[in-house]
Amino acid sequence: MKMDSELLNKNAAINNNVKLSTEGVNLYYGSFQALRNITLDIPQCAITAIIGPSGCGKSSFLRIFNRMNDLITGARVEGEVELDGIPIYNKAIDVVELRKRVGMVFQKPNPFPMSVFENVAFGPKRHGISNRVELEEIVKKSLRQAALWDEVKDKLEQSGLALSGGQQQRLCIARVLAVEPEVILMDEPCSALDPVATLKIEELMRSLAENYTIVIVTHNMQQAARVSDMAAFLMMEEDRAGVLVEYGPTSELFTNPKDKRTEDYITGRFG
Amino acid sequence: MEIRTTFRKKLREIQDEVLVMGSMVEKAITSSVKALKERDLDLAHQIINDDLKVNQKRFEIEEKCIQLVATQQPMASDLRVIISVLNIISEVERIGDHAEGIAKIVIMIGDEPPLKPLIDIPRMTEKTTDMLQRSLDAFVNHNADTAREIAIEDDEVDNLYNQVFRELLTFMAEDPRTITRATRLIWVAHNLERSADRVTNICERVVYMVTGKMEEIGASKY
Repeated sequence: MKMDSELLNKNAAINNNVKLSTEGVNLYYGSFQALRNITLDIPQCAITAIIGPSGCGKSSFLRIFNRMNDLITGARVEGEVELDGIPIYNKAIDVVELRKRVGMVFQKPNPFPMSVFENVAFGPKRHGISNRVELEEIVKKSLRQAALWDEVKDKLEQSGLALSGGQQQRLCIARVLAVEPEVILMDEPCSALDPVATLKIEELMRSLAENYTIVIVTHNMQQAARVSDMAAFLMMEEDRAGVLVEYGPTSELFTNPKDKRTEDYITGRFG
Repeated sequence: MEIRTTFRKKLREIQDEVLVMGSMVEKAITSSVKALKERDLDLAHQIINDDLKVNQKRFEIEEKCIQLVATQQPMASDLRVIISVLNIISEVERIGDHAEGIAKIVIMIGDEPPLKPLIDIPRMTEKTTDMLQRSLDAFVNHNADTAREIAIEDDEVDNLYNQVFRELLTFMAEDPRTITRATRLIWVAHNLERSADRVTNICERVVYMVTGKMEEIGASKY
């Protein structure tokens, strides 16, 4: 399929500040092509949602931005992927430093089997901060930002695993925030949570978007609609490679999609 | 604890914009009758131009409602607020059209000598704009009882309209040369009477928004 990248991206730069961008990206797992020719710009300090049917490559696409696919044997990325205009697949890039700048929150809350405090302090410690007062400050600030402080301030020494599912996920977000990232990638962050915990995470995302660039993958279209500023619709072609069908402001994509395939998907005519 | 603060904020912003639109239209109605009293053709033209802004505002609000429905999955009272806003702005916009209608009549009348001093028409104007303003207050305050009370006040406007109609009919019967001028004043009064009817529709929407029940209050005789 031919893609007019200019057309797809004409709305992308909501604030002209492109934080992440891909240009003609192909992703292969061995001989299987998982993504084909994906070109889009992700604006800074906004929430961009990636939606599409199961298996269309949403999560694979998300993992391109912090090179998580490097961990999969046989995975190979072609094309340009840039963070602040700097190609992140360049050999000179320090992947550990990249993942500090581009944090990630996963589908299932995965706190470390240690205290709430240690969970949040873990990253900063790994990056060389050992002063207790400084760590306390970071933990407090991160938990506040993650809208969790009031709920856990009296149980910082309890195990992170003792928290509820929604609290655990916010703890994971606090853990990401503690290393002061610029981008937060979220891979189905609410799929294991109940509706109220989900709304809390969404509200948290909105407040974080004032200072961070967020990219979220979700199979929940309604969530993408509620929370995001920009939305990208991916789907599989016949050879199962994921392609970008449409990308634009969420309010437009969900009220007046330009591509019939987007319309069919969001109105439930296929998918 | 409030969770969906972002959504609620947007919902409140929409309600505030309905108030802004309401005050634009209230001003248009008042000005249209002022233009009639003072034979101010410039003001009449101004009202006609300003009606475009009212229409524009309605589209803006409508667009925001559509976006909230499409992206935020509003439920229960939130859904009723949005549906009511869509109905209310349509009524407010039509009241704006009535003001524009009066302004056009003012231009038609031009510098013809006045038929009689205007007494009941200004009264109708005052009552209608007061009802409009209070109906929108009832809307933002989610007050169904007040809305029901305001809707019933439409009878006062209807009575004034009947009074104006009868009086002008007498003029026409006594002197056929007054027919054109009298008819134009009847049109003015009719625009005001219809505006007040639309306020009752707004009130019905407020009642629906608050209670979830669709009820007709004081069905108009016209």
